[in-house]
Amino acid sequence: MPDGWYPKIVAFCCNWCSYGGADTAGVSRMQYPPSVRIIRVMCSGRVEPAFVLKAFREGADGVFVGGCHLGDCHYQAGNYKWWRRAELIKRLLDEIGIGSERFEYDWISASEGEKFAEVMRKFHERIEKLGPLKLNEKLELL
Amino acid sequence: MTKKVMTIWLGGCSGCHISLLDLHERLLSVFSDDVELVYSPPLLDFKEIPEHVDVALIEGGIRNEDNVEEAEEVREAADVVIAVGTCACFGGIPGLGNLFENEELLERAYVSTPTTVNEEGEPPSEDLPELTWRVHPLSDVIDVDIMVPGCPPSPDDILEAVRCALEGEEFELPRKSVCDECPREKKGKVIRSIKRPFEGEPDPERCLLEQGYPCLGPATRAGCGGRCPEVGVPCAGCRGPAEGAPDQGAGMISALASAYRVEEEEEPGFDPVELAESVPDPVGWFYRFTLASALIPFRADRGEEP
Ligand code: SF4
Ligand code: SF4
Ligand code: SF4
Ligand code: FES
Repeated sequence: MPDGWYPKIVAFCCNWCSYGGADTAGVSRMQYPPSVRIIRVMCSGRVEPAFVLKAFREGADGVFVGGCHLGDCHYQAGNYKWWRRAELIKRLLDEIGIGSERFEYDWISASEGEKFAEVMRKFHERIEKLGPLKLNEKLELL
Repeated sequence: MTKKVMTIWLGGCSGCHISLLDLHERLLSVFSDDVELVYSPPLLDFKEIPEHVDVALIEGGIRNEDNVEEAEEVREAADVVIAVGTCACFGGIPGLGNLFENEELLERAYVSTPTTVNEEGEPPSEDLPELTWRVHPLSDVIDVDIMVPGCPPSPDDILEAVRCALEGEEFELPRKSVCDECPREKKGKVIRSIKRPFEGEPDPERCLLEQGYPCLGPATRAGCGGRCPEVGVPCAGCRGPAEGAPDQGAGMISALASAYRVEEEEEPGFDPVELAESVPDPVGWFYRFTLASALIPFRADRGEEP
């Protein structure tokens, strides 16, 4: 890991499940790395591909999206909608040199605090191994 | 007082100038006694960019150091700068070069293309402007007042932009997408995988995307009348991103995702990987004309050396 670098992870979590999962993890004092910055969205179906790309552009080394389990979405099928986008985003990230390993999505319910913490720990470890994305420096080049 | 207009080409192909010339005698409706063309590489043999002009039309984006210098000089000279064409507005096709190292581009262009004869096997280096690290839209380097997208834009669009610039009016672009003006019928049937444009015979009436052809119409700004899908060719996105979704590829991913097996999504075996894997060339489809101005405008794992 380069000196002085610590991963930055942006996690979009749906209000009704994954955000609740994060909350459960917090309330039950389960540890997960402080590299994770949670952004609450109403539904994973609200997460547009541009949000993910923007997060990378603004300095994220990894991006996570959490939604309700399939069939449990508060808005019925928002997570199906997200799922279709997510697989296309992975394809694009590989082609554009960011790499789909820097991107993860999962279904986590509000009661699954332990799962949330575990998924975050694993993702953090993976990003730590991959190292910094260094997009900012390249964005400044003419 | 006579108004002065200039045109210049930077990192483009000259096609936008040809579109301007396609105005034929209608050019005279702009350049009359009151409006003089003072600098224009394909039309006039002047070597120095004028000190002051009222309106400058710039074709092409930024590909090398020379483009940067000229863009800055034109900006200094002109009261109104019009970016003419998708290269100037978004980087255009040359922007796809941002997927490669400059060395690879030079090697490919000057040495290894099958039609190139280069006995020394080295790209030329003397007296050539250095490539910039990557291709940029004009607006990365100078302020742009009016954008006229299209590859190339129609002669009428260019004419209208010049008229607006001369008369101090706002040049407005259509706010809809190519799908909104495409004559093909959408039936809302779902797609499973993407075909190459040469595969099979498309149904002449139905939306091409719904038939699995890689059409970028949903993510592309209207204004051309949907002329490509109208004759059976998928929209390549030459007019750049649709209003409100400035990253054309991100917009297209959303549109594509909503066309995949929607009606059967809750059935067992639904797996969007099927669709994602069938896309033959995501960047080439989603960002053919706008990679240089996308949220991620180059291959992120490129080296930092120029
Ligand atoms: S926009 Fe198209 S026609 Fe105009 S310079 Fe670029 S490639 Fe050529
Ligand atoms: S996707 Fe293409 S073919 Fe279908 S309506 Fe839109 S522009 Fe027309
Ligand atoms: S249909 Fe698409 S590619 Fe064809 S002219 Fe219109 S915007 Fe350009
Ligand atoms: S509300 Fe959780 S995924 Fe839709």
